Amino acid sequence: MTSCLPLYTVYVQYTVAGDLTLRIDLDSAVPAYRQIVDGLRILLVGGKLEPGAELPSVRRMALDLGVHFNTVAEAYRLLAEEGWLDLRHGRSARVVYRDAPDPTSDTLREFGYRLRALTAEMLAKGAFAEDLRSAMRTAAEELES
Amino acid sequence: MKPVVAIFVPQLVFVAAIFQFMPLLTRSGIFFSATVDPEFPRSADGRRVLRSYRWQSGLWAIIAIGLAFVFPTRDPGLAVLAPIVIMIAGSGCSYWLKFREVHARYGQRRPEIRQAELSSQPTRASFLPWIWIPPFVAMAITAAYLQARWNELPMRFPVHWGADGQPNRWASRDPLTVFAPLLIGAGMNLFMLVLAWLFSRLSRNTVMRRITVRLLEVLLYPLTFTFIVVALLPLGLVVPIWLIPGIMLVCVAGLIYWSYRQMAAPAVADAVPDPQNDAYWKAGVFYYNPNDPAVFVAKRVGVGYTMNFASKWAWLVLALTLAIIVGSITLVKPAR
Repeated sequence: MTSCLPLYTVYVQYTVAGDLTLRIDLDSAVPAYRQIVDGLRILLVGGKLEPGAELPSVRRMALDLGVHFNTVAEAYRLLAEEGWLDLRHGRSARVVYRDAPDPTSDTLREFGYRLRALTAEMLAKGAFAEDLRSAMRTAAEELES
Repeated sequence: MKPVVAIFVPQLVFVAAIFQFMPLLTRSGIFFSATVDPEFPRSADGRRVLRSYRWQSGLWAIIAIGLAFVFPTRDPGLAVLAPIVIMIAGSGCSYWLKFREVHARYGQRRPEIRQAELSSQPTRASFLPWIWIPPFVAMAITAAYLQARWNELPMRFPVHWGADGQPNRWASRDPLTVFAPLLIGAGMNLFMLVLAWLFSRLSRNTVMRRITVRLLEVLLYPLTFTFIVVALLPLGLVVPIWLIPGIMLVCVAGLIYWSYRQMAAPAVADAVPDPQNDAYWKAGVFYYNPNDPAVFVAKRVGVGYTMNFASKWAWLVLALTLAIIVGSITLVKPAR
């Protein structure tokens, strides 16, 4: 059981810390804008950021994270494309109500690829399949609750 | 002893003391501006580096104070300026060499974890009106007092004094001259508040921001005291020559001590920390990070803020500050 914990702990620690704080790791191979998208999506899916909530301005979040304005703007744009944010000019980015779309076969296939790659990486690092199943279940339950 | 030296040596000693304690006026995990193990400063190597720096800095202080006695009094400006420049340059070089040594031999690299508050209303440093309003009220009361006793003001009075305490510039009685110290004082107070506001808007939510804003608010008091005393001098107010620099030194020393206590408090943590990589700190003191939109970042050593020299806004703020200083000097000169 212990071998699966680092997977989940590291993921949460390096993306989201607490309800209203976002963390990114600039040493990570994952680009900063992608980490911002992933971190915010966890809060959006988990309901920590509810419809109507306002996010910090691009300028403010870029200042806090010490990254270029375009990095944050790109992350907000991607989340807006997914239907999570309303980015009207002159207003703060606002969380909007979003109906979960039916997953397409492409979406499920991409998830399968990514999951297999991550699972292989963790197995290569010595994790057990049962531990990974348990971690996966825990993550899904936490985000759904 | 020459009067200039008598006034100036205590100030040199004060600056020398600041240089002696400067490496300790920092956050845990930073030593000579380099990122190290938090326990390193207490290790044998850490103590050796600190001891070596203190010897070098002390030597520069002795040279500077010695020069203060040697320089001719015919040019008090040079007698004051040269020793302080030598002390700052010498101790600064010693500090830089120690930064290089600590960074190269004992430095650590921390993960580049960045953090942002996800609130549409970012936390701002709080300004306390009951701290910053009284100095302005005191200056307004002084102005009213001067106006009420206008006829008692002499037709000609000194407006500038040399380092030896003797007046070297005089002016005649007119509203601009009489109220000039109060106007300049109010302007300087306002400038300090604007600076605090800029730190609040253009920097991250760190412990240093809270400390710096409060420090700038409290600094209005010794400044206001100085300008009120100068404004009242034409009415015959007699003050010892050491009073103003003495009060300033006591205030600055007290504020540095208070800041150190705040920074060293064990429960203190930055809500949104500044980037921690040593690579952004040129010579340990100049922050240069083109990817960081922050204009101001908390200093690694000492109290207050430095600028992100990769930001054009930082250079604009620097140019404006210089313009205000030069403008103030130019404004005062016509009173000659």
